[in-house]
Amino acid sequence: MSILRRATRFRELPVLLGLVVVYLGTGFLNPIFFSVSILNDIFFGVAIVATLAIAQTFVIVMRHIDLSVGSVVGLTSFLIGDLSSRGFSLLAVLFAALLVGATVGAVNGFLVGYLGLPSLVVTLATLYIVRGIFNEVGKGQTIVESMVPKELNWLGLNRLFGISYLFVIVVVLMLIAGVLMQRTRAARDLYAIGSNPSAAGLVGIPVKLRVLAAFTATGAISGLAGAVMLARFNSSSTQSGLGLELLVVAACVVGGVSIAGGTGSVFGAVTGAVLLQTILMAIGALGIPQFWQLAVNGSLIIAAIGLDRYLSTRLRSTNIMGASS
Amino acid sequence: MTKLTIPKVVFSWDKGVVLFLVLSIFIGSYASEYFATASNLSFVIASIAEIAIIAIAMAYLIISGEIDLSVASIMALTSASIGYAFQEGVPFEIAVVLGLLVGLLAGLFNGVLVTIFGLPSLAVTIATLALFRGLCWVILENKPVNQLPREWIDLGNKNIPGTFFPWATILVVLFAGIAWFVLHHTKLGRWVFAIGTNPVASRFSGIPVNRVKLGLFVFTGFMSAVAGVIYTLRFASASPDGGAGYELSVIAAVLFGGVAIAGGVGTMWGVLAAVLSLGVIKSGLQLAGFSANALLVVSGGLLLISVILPRVTEFVRIQRSKASTIKRTQQKEKERVQK
Repeated sequence: MSILRRATRFRELPVLLGLVVVYLGTGFLNPIFFSVSILNDIFFGVAIVATLAIAQTFVIVMRHIDLSVGSVVGLTSFLIGDLSSRGFSLLAVLFAALLVGATVGAVNGFLVGYLGLPSLVVTLATLYIVRGIFNEVGKGQTIVESMVPKELNWLGLNRLFGISYLFVIVVVLMLIAGVLMQRTRAARDLYAIGSNPSAAGLVGIPVKLRVLAAFTATGAISGLAGAVMLARFNSSSTQSGLGLELLVVAACVVGGVSIAGGTGSVFGAVTGAVLLQTILMAIGALGIPQFWQLAVNGSLIIAAIGLDRYLSTRLRSTNIMGASS
Repeated sequence: MTKLTIPKVVFSWDKGVVLFLVLSIFIGSYASEYFATASNLSFVIASIAEIAIIAIAMAYLIISGEIDLSVASIMALTSASIGYAFQEGVPFEIAVVLGLLVGLLAGLFNGVLVTIFGLPSLAVTIATLALFRGLCWVILENKPVNQLPREWIDLGNKNIPGTFFPWATILVVLFAGIAWFVLHHTKLGRWVFAIGTNPVASRFSGIPVNRVKLGLFVFTGFMSAVAGVIYTLRFASASPDGGAGYELSVIAAVLFGGVAIAGGVGTMWGVLAAVLSLGVIKSGLQLAGFSANALLVVSGGLLLISVILPRVTEFVRIQRSKASTIKRTQQKEKERVQK
């Protein structure tokens, strides 16, 4: 198989190319864009969405969706600040965030996996319920900088070899999740479930258990992402994470994690998130009014879905005509 | 063939929702003396008018097996277009027509992407949710338009003389009536159910699946635009961030009303009862001194119950039929032994 052919099978290629084109193109028009500080802004700004996109990949490859992540990440960012200001240690607080996220995820996973309910409805419901509980717990309070654990504050302000620690966390998480998704049997099962749910059951994959586990993992990571959010903003209120779920799904879709299930990788999801963030920065650097940002994002997602569709049909045809290649 | 004597489960979810609506009205009026006052009822109806209008169209779309998350953005885009056109000196009547046209085109855009390009509607409408909302920001920037003609604003805020019904009620009733009739009593309505149940079989039986779906997306765009007009008049303002998050309320109401997210199942009156109940509960909770948070938890809980309960009744039905089958075979066995 020629290198070129292998490259076209690499599903993250279009989004990676898009990222390069946007970055170089903007830098060509405005050289300031190549500065280290812009790069840092991109890495720093994308950390939350990228973390959540990694988590979301687990459920999207199963042809499911988790809309509750925005509420979960908001709640845990608040909890981390609130609990640590009451004197709990960082480890205990992070564990609490993990537990809250995993619990919500497990509830989602149980309802979707074991009761066979549609994930869109279930997670829409938990989005509401968690947000409602969050508002009640939060009582309109705000977590201010002095309540943020010092370690998180430090993570938000410092860099490792010039790259924000928040993005370092994203990269580490991506590597771990990426290797797991490629190499472990349980994670490969998720792809099988997404490709054909009933066939997955017939070949002996414990579908219910896998769905439960994947949703729990998504919830747990989203819960921990609360720490990233708190480190990023140094504050949290009951508005935190509102509407974030759609941005996260958008990042996944742009990154080639198909909403139809069965394909995509955490690397793609992170690249998608970085591309969206880069475009956001490019709009500013090119002097385009900020008001264009959302419209450009929307068009980009449409382009990504269209491209994905085009590529996947073409890939399938080369598979069928495999003999000729 | 022997006739099976399995007792049919008479309960259906949409009937339950209507019952729930009646119940919540009773509890509401019991909980607070202000609930059943004309001004409160008028407020309740006004507060759900936009969601009701969009939910009517969304019910069709979800029954046909598609979804549109961009409805709130279309609503805002209509509102922004009206405001912008009026600001630029277009007469308000024509600005409203333009706004409706924009909604129609937005729906057409969604529909073309889904039916002609074959893209998944969930992903497409997440994208157009951002795109249409983005266009609102592009045309209005961060300057809402507030100087709208007095008589139009009155139309959005006053009641039909002598009643406690806001003027928007007429639109809701009219559209709901037509939508109910078409969905449940015409060929087109049957087509929508057929498409949602099995699109491939529908195509093979001669239903123009793509054309119907395209039409439904345009219809949803138009209804979102109508809701946008009502919204603009009610708040006497066209702003780029209006109605953010409405899409989830609409979908929650439609699903609570007994429409199956997998398509093929649902009734128009179930949906309308659901929209009304959510409005009633919201008002009741507020009057009883609960915070808005309680409403979030209650809507989420109702949404969950609306999907869990049918599953439970199905489970019970299967168990019953299993039990009766076992009983019959045991009886046959007994008869055989006796012989």
